[in-house]
Amino acid sequence: MYTSLTDRRKFIKKMAMLSAMTAAATMFPGILFADEQEEGLPSGDIKWTKAPCRFCGVGCGILVGTEKGKAVAVKGDPKSSVNKGLLCVKGYHQTMCLQAKDRLTHALVKKNGAYVKTPIGEALDLVASKMKETIAKHGKDAVAMYTSGQSTIPEGYVASKLMKGAIGTNNLDCNARLCMASAVTGFLTTFGADEPMGCYEDIDHADVFVLWGNNMAEMHPVLFSRMLEQKNRRGAKIIDFATRTTRTSMAADKSILFKPQSDLAVANAICYEIIKNGWVNTSFVEKHCNFNKGLTNMGYGLEDNYKFKDKPEKINFEAYKEFLKDYTPEKVEKISGVSVKDIKYMAAYFGDPNKKIVSYWCMGMNQHTRGTWMNNLVYNIHLLTGKISQPGNGPFSLTGQPSACGTAREVGTFTHKLPKGVVMNEKHRRLAAKIWKVPYERIPSKPTYHATEMFRAIDRGEIKFIWTQVTNPLVSLPKTSRYRPGMEKDSCFVVVSDVFPTPTSDVADVILPASWHIEKSGLYGNSERRTQHWDKMVEGPGETTPDAWMTIEVAKRMGFGDLFPYTEENHVEEIYNEYRQFHQGAKHGMAPLEVLKSQSGAIWPFVDGKSTQWRFNAKYDPACSNEEDFHFYGKPDGRAVIWQRPYEPAPEEPDSEYPFWLNTGRVVEHWHTGSMTRRIPVLHKAMPRAYVELHPKDAKRLKIKTGDKVKLTTRRGEIIMPASVNQRGIPTPMQVFVPFFDENMLINDLTLDSFCPISKEPDYKKCAVRVEKV
Amino acid sequence: MKRLGIISLFVLLFIAFITIWNYSYQTGLEDAYIPLENEITHSSIPSEAGVFKRSEYALDYAKMTIDEKYQRTLETYYDNRAYHGAPPSIPHPVSQEISMGGNTCLQCHQNGGFVVKFDAYAPVTPHPEMINCRQCHVAQNTETFFTETSFAKVQAPMAGIHNALPGSPPMIPHAIQMRENCLSCHAGPAAPKEIRVTHPERINCRQCHLPNAVEYSDKDVFLRNNN
Amino acid sequence: MPIKSYLAHPHKGKKNELMEALSVLEQCEVIPSHNEELLILITETDTTTEEEILKEKLDALESLKLLALVSGFNTQKN
Repeated sequence: MYTSLTDRRKFIKKMAMLSAMTAAATMFPGILFADEQEEGLPSGDIKWTKAPCRFCGVGCGILVGTEKGKAVAVKGDPKSSVNKGLLCVKGYHQTMCLQAKDRLTHALVKKNGAYVKTPIGEALDLVASKMKETIAKHGKDAVAMYTSGQSTIPEGYVASKLMKGAIGTNNLDCNARLCMASAVTGFLTTFGADEPMGCYEDIDHADVFVLWGNNMAEMHPVLFSRMLEQKNRRGAKIIDFATRTTRTSMAADKSILFKPQSDLAVANAICYEIIKNGWVNTSFVEKHCNFNKGLTNMGYGLEDNYKFKDKPEKINFEAYKEFLKDYTPEKVEKISGVSVKDIKYMAAYFGDPNKKIVSYWCMGMNQHTRGTWMNNLVYNIHLLTGKISQPGNGPFSLTGQPSACGTAREVGTFTHKLPKGVVMNEKHRRLAAKIWKVPYERIPSKPTYHATEMFRAIDRGEIKFIWTQVTNPLVSLPKTSRYRPGMEKDSCFVVVSDVFPTPTSDVADVILPASWHIEKSGLYGNSERRTQHWDKMVEGPGETTPDAWMTIEVAKRMGFGDLFPYTEENHVEEIYNEYRQFHQGAKHGMAPLEVLKSQSGAIWPFVDGKSTQWRFNAKYDPACSNEEDFHFYGKPDGRAVIWQRPYEPAPEEPDSEYPFWLNTGRVVEHWHTGSMTRRIPVLHKAMPRAYVELHPKDAKRLKIKTGDKVKLTTRRGEIIMPASVNQRGIPTPMQVFVPFFDENMLINDLTLDSFCPISKEPDYKKCAVRVEKV
Repeated sequence: MKRLGIISLFVLLFIAFITIWNYSYQTGLEDAYIPLENEITHSSIPSEAGVFKRSEYALDYAKMTIDEKYQRTLETYYDNRAYHGAPPSIPHPVSQEISMGGNTCLQCHQNGGFVVKFDAYAPVTPHPEMINCRQCHVAQNTETFFTETSFAKVQAPMAGIHNALPGSPPMIPHAIQMRENCLSCHAGPAAPKEIRVTHPERINCRQCHLPNAVEYSDKDVFLRNNN
Repeated sequence: MPIKSYLAHPHKGKKNELMEALSVLEQCEVIPSHNEELLILITETDTTTEEEILKEKLDALESLKLLALVSGFNTQKN
């Protein structure tokens, strides 16, 4: 299966050259060899084109090698400041999924229970007429679209314009709700402006990295490698704070394990220690911070139509100090299982004014029934010590999807969002209406369904039509055991756009064949606010079509042609230029397309031809206007908020019937639901199936060895899968871990659909499970 | 009386001084609390921990010039093993036949280095924690066989053919049990030249290189049919 | 058929001289660095003997301070 190289000698020569270059680069960092370095490997016929990687939110720059109209190789882009030429195993092999034999090449329409190959035009006619018919019969709020943090910026933009501007419903949400929503609400509640203030360059400056429930060695391997480099070169420290011992713990200087959900208590204990020891940066806090508290005992969103609205209330420093008295290290040790010494250890690093410190987190903190709170609490630590918005100092929320920031958060493919601002705000609706050239009254002012509620509404029969793009909800939603039968019901017409067949396309009435990454042009925005553009490199097979263009075609067929005056060849550029108008100004200006085409992306706010690397810091950010060193201009009074957020238990804790915690997550080989990576032979061979990981002590007690079949049962369902003991990771005792990439072993049939009441992001990391050997 | 008063005043002052000094010394100790470092408190995962084991030398490896004259080749590497994956035999006289490896073998094989006596660089063991070396590694004291054997060596993996795409990182063609530590064999002057890594400073090896030899029955390409 | 790559360090200020000297040799391919006093040399010879002869020629070059082998391959004849 490996490519036979026609000119082996030529290849070896190039290999020899490349290794010499690598050797030279280690001796003389920054050495340049004409254009050879970029040309890099194989023969002269290969054309290399830049793009961001298709997979995670790190947004590595890749160079895709194409030969005779086919993608034949991928390498890291040495010019990209994100990854500096390095990739992970998924990145290097990404284009190999294109050769999968079960690629969706034509539209399929379900007729009498069987899928019939249908010309794309006809399938789009059907989608448009179904949508119109449903609106006529059941109203605007009976149709919905569910898109993705992997949608390109133009794809998200036209989906938003179609639903909110043309049709006039807020029934648009995306899978980023499942991964990023708590980060968004965390940023908004604390700073009033979404997305991290720092950038990846922080790694080159920081002395200490604290990873909050984040297995970076596997999930953000390229950034982790940058950290390891700093550890080796400068002696930077890595602290792994988690509920599971992983590859990251193995490479870290210190691994601290805590009981699920108790991170809330530990973060408060760190604040307690900081205040007690006088490590508070008083002038920073006095000038730039407010103290707030919100509602508690919010519930967990387990019931349909659950509603919650926080009521922020100002408090003073004294009241906050009083509140923290419940979180002395001694008290927290009992809740969290983290020793007093370890709590003081972390607090001491945060408190040391001579140490630069960065916090990283991803799903551990976001997929949390108190995710917004947890995000607030980490900001508290950085605000109290003033370690924020400076090179090497700051909290940094990592993303899981390549454009969770660029599309889901910035374009705003959430029910409450608009490309700028929120639907609840009249000024924001007026701006959107003006740019979209639609009557302002058409954009409804009330958000409707967030992701989980959207699929509940399908189950209840309220939503009669749904179109999903670039996502696989029947593997990725929690409690799919409810939502799969829901989507199978005849009451809802399901349209699925995808590249490969998935468990979601199995329940579709119409399957639309989408173009993959390099078969279309597009833009992604990564975790460090970097917007990146790529050009189409190869032709897609059959009648595959870019998602944006399919949305536009359906809009035209519904009679909204005048709102979508884009051309097929240039729609990406035309849409981006229209979208840029939303973000004009020093606070969020986006780089013009020419800039993005000429370099590996640019970080917004892009002001006067320059990326802004550290927001809210007057030295770097031209939007600061208060004449101070820092300006948190997202809030009306320019001050960030330190939130009083308590510890509250998880909704479903282990009991005698279901004595274990169930935690789910990912592995380095596979990306999310595996629909792409499982079709890449190298990756599938290395990780062919899911498994359930146990602590060795639990395994011994239950007489379970690696490979034994184990039955997991929760209140939602049961599943049998092979055990894994002492392999990739070790969960804390009385906890099991299962990766969710495997559609043949759907662990999300068992997970709980509780969510953070503020962000509405589900918690995939905590529910109660019974473990038995079969 | 007056004198007594003065003396007791001084005594009081002195005691007060001692107490205050002591107190401030104690609080000073607390302020100077410095985090304890490098304490390993977590359980270790052999298959995962091994890869980082020699990482503290990664930068040294990257800087090392290559001693061409004494390079090993993959051929000699395989020659010293009964089959691919078998423990290598000891190709040199052993200094102390009776001792445990921890005292003898590891002197050279823990960190490697040039051994004048054998005119070679000592290969580095990927598992220095296992010190009963002679349990698996035996000397070769004769060239002849007791009886003839028909044992045939299976073809060992060649270097340079394990990448799926031109220029993509090669996969790991061998099992990694007891060989979790990549750098011990793939870097340094004793590494066979064909498999010496060009970038030893990148220490999270399995970010890009995955074991290709996972033993599962069904590892065909993942496909599904929609209709 | 050995293929080898080297890092060639020229004597101070003799980078161009070395570059020219190497370019003359038929079996050699040279890639100079933009910003450092360093050249990459790739040699391709038919036999090991030819390889040795070439090595001697290289060692005789005056502008060359140090030649460090980076990688070597030997393919079967095809």
